[in-house]
Amino acid sequence: MTSPVIEVQDLTKVYSGGTRAVDGITFSIQPGELFGFLGPNGAGKTTTIRVLATLLRATSGIARVAGLDVGTHPADVRRRLGLAMQTPTLDTFATGRENIELIGRMHRVPAAELKRRTDELLELMGLAQVARKMAGTYSGGMRRRLDLACALVHRPEVLILDEPTEGLDPQSRIALWGELERISKDGTTMLLTTHYMEEADRLCNRVAIIDNGRIVVDGSPAQLKAGIGADTVTLQLDAHGPEDLARQQTNVRDQLHGFEPLEAVTPESFGVSLSIRGAGRALPDLMRSLDRNGDGVRIVGLAVSQPTLDDVFLKYTGRRIRTEAADQPIILGW
Amino acid sequence: MTAVIGDLIYESWYLGLRTLRRFYRVPANWIGIIAFPLIQLFVFSQLFKDIIQLPGFRAGGSGSYLAYLAPGQIAFTAFFAVAWSGSSILVEYRNGYMDKLRATPIRRVSILFGELAPLFLESAVMAGGILALSIVLGATIRTGVLGAALILVLAGLFGMAWAGTSFVPAFLTKSEQATGTLSLLFFPIAFMSTAFVPPALMPGWLQTVNAWNPITFLIEAIRPLMVSGYDWAAIGKALLALGILGTVLQSATLWAFRRLTA
Repeated sequence: MTSPVIEVQDLTKVYSGGTRAVDGITFSIQPGELFGFLGPNGAGKTTTIRVLATLLRATSGIARVAGLDVGTHPADVRRRLGLAMQTPTLDTFATGRENIELIGRMHRVPAAELKRRTDELLELMGLAQVARKMAGTYSGGMRRRLDLACALVHRPEVLILDEPTEGLDPQSRIALWGELERISKDGTTMLLTTHYMEEADRLCNRVAIIDNGRIVVDGSPAQLKAGIGADTVTLQLDAHGPEDLARQQTNVRDQLHGFEPLEAVTPESFGVSLSIRGAGRALPDLMRSLDRNGDGVRIVGLAVSQPTLDDVFLKYTGRRIRTEAADQPIILGW
Repeated sequence: MTAVIGDLIYESWYLGLRTLRRFYRVPANWIGIIAFPLIQLFVFSQLFKDIIQLPGFRAGGSGSYLAYLAPGQIAFTAFFAVAWSGSSILVEYRNGYMDKLRATPIRRVSILFGELAPLFLESAVMAGGILALSIVLGATIRTGVLGAALILVLAGLFGMAWAGTSFVPAFLTKSEQATGTLSLLFFPIAFMSTAFVPPALMPGWLQTVNAWNPITFLIEAIRPLMVSGYDWAAIGKALLALGILGTVLQSATLWAFRRLTA
């Protein structure tokens, strides 16, 4: 077994206000992995990343990048890291090319190599046409890609991305996923945080679900979903008003009493969703059970779905992940 | 040790070029700096044209009030060039660009040097603009090109030293508004200098203030270069005053910067 590129043991960060942002996190990332931190806003993802990027000191615990402790060898760690934070941080009065070149110079990329690498990245990120325009004139998607190019200019061993597609329109998001997959294929180890289930599911080899500063579960998306076991069958009910809906939901529950593959019945605004093991095979029996009582239940729609990471999150944290954008705190005082 | 200095120079150089770019690419930056001293030069030289008749002015050797006024407005320009200099670094602290730089293997203090060093050039060039305009309006420069160069160096050094009055509040309050407001508190120091009238015409307490006012030292070194000739004693005093001012303010700046980025 090769040694991990990122190694975190029992990492804790308590802010001066007393907030326990990270509460004893342990994980490791192997070379070439694309590792995802999945969790709601405020779960401790950004804090962990800031510790790994040497921007924040941990309260206790160990964090190593390429075998180097982030606390004692910050400069060596920085040389190996590429970092892109939650909102693209660019010099808006500099051109796209100037932005990449400055970060490259700070990383001491030799001049000839820097020129070549900058051209290559501008091309790769589809920014060659606008390379001479001020970054301040770029669209959201272009800013993201330029930020990513800055993070890649020195060919880092590890790329750390905090919410790489936050605030992007669906089209730009899918395009960026393509870029990230390509970078990962080139052998760069990646750690990204996200609160988008589809993103973690599509991109990551391994996902850690983080909530309230702790990792609640980790594994490949397939493993995590397999751990859920049951599929979801949603029934859309034709109800006249809330009382009728409640009555039909109770009927469903009663009629399915003793139906062996059933694990849970959850009332929903549109009807009811059922957690059923091997839903495909159980479906005919399910329909027969529901049919026993004549018109007590009026089904107008039915859908079967495999477990998603959303379900995994629900199972381990007891609630659904919030998908609203992070609120930027307003700094008051002066 | 030499490696450290080499690193600092390399990093500050490229970060400094970026700071300069940010400055000259937004014309509002330099138009705003030039405008106020230029208006003062133009309006006051007309408004108080005859003030030169007062006995206190005779000793100075300035032929006109404009000639008396110009050195002060050159100093004012250097003053305005740096009065809000802490704001841009604060914006980048807030939006995360400073973190992006800090995540690269550079010395943290290079980020500060990269902001500070270009202020020499910005102040000198802006002051040069007012110097040129005042000559167009009728002021003279007796010591010629060399004297003009010396004036720009003095203005540049003053700008770098004085920038601390903006950096320190910026780093301590972390607020652009507070930085802007606090810089207003320093304006009286400029207005109470010998920019407008010689000390002989001031009340006693103002004369005392001006015995300690670094802006007065700067103006009194520039004025002879324009109206009479080299006054090395005045230049020496100005350099000493700027040296002390710079050491005090920039030590405070360094402390506040370390505190901000700790």
